[in-house]
Amino acid sequence: MHLPWFKRIGIFFVPTSIIGWLILLAGFAYAVHVCIDLNSRSHSVSDFLINFVFSLLIIGAVYSLIAYLTSRTAK
Amino acid sequence: MELESFEEKLTQMTKPEVTELKHQDMLAKSIATAKDKSVLSWWWLSIPLYICAALLMKSFFMPQTSLVSNLHNLTSKDKYSSILFFLVLPIIFAVINLISIRKIYFLSGNPNTLHFLESVWFNILIIAASIIILIIYSL
Repeated sequence: MHLPWFKRIGIFFVPTSIIGWLILLAGFAYAVHVCIDLNSRSHSVSDFLINFVFSLLIIGAVYSLIAYLTSRTAK
Repeated sequence: MELESFEEKLTQMTKPEVTELKHQDMLAKSIATAKDKSVLSWWWLSIPLYICAALLMKSFFMPQTSLVSNLHNLTSKDKYSSILFFLVLPIIFAVINLISIRKIYFLSGNPNTLHFLESVWFNILIIAASIIILIIYSL
């Protein structure tokens, strides 16, 4: 495996390889799935937004952890 | 003749110069690593900060409750995840960022305060956010 998969720009990690892009797409697909699932179960717009932003933050945190670990080059 | 040419050669010779010091390279690397760590910390600390903001809004919406009482309700409902987000993560990230700042400080030698703060301001912000979360959780 050729590292790095990501590079940091500001507070975001941007993919620089195909595997990085696949991870980003997987995160995005999961976010869409969560959005559809929450939309079917929510009672109001605020209920949906509060839960969806929370899920987005968790997805972003996990993505940034993976990106941080794979953005370092081998010594 | 030979001696003269040797002297000329000697005067033409320059001292070997190291354009980039190893120490400078180490400092640049440690600053880059510290920034990566602070960004990672920011993403993970945004979760408890978001929960605090949501609970604060709830306390405005329901005047008989407060941020602390809402947080106590959450802690009693979700004991392990609240300990993780409000106690374990802030402590871990505060320590990691403190170590990064310490490393940069020692590699910088005797740094100018302004330049030093410019390179570590985000790490200091993360430590402050961690301390705020810990204080809110301990209330």
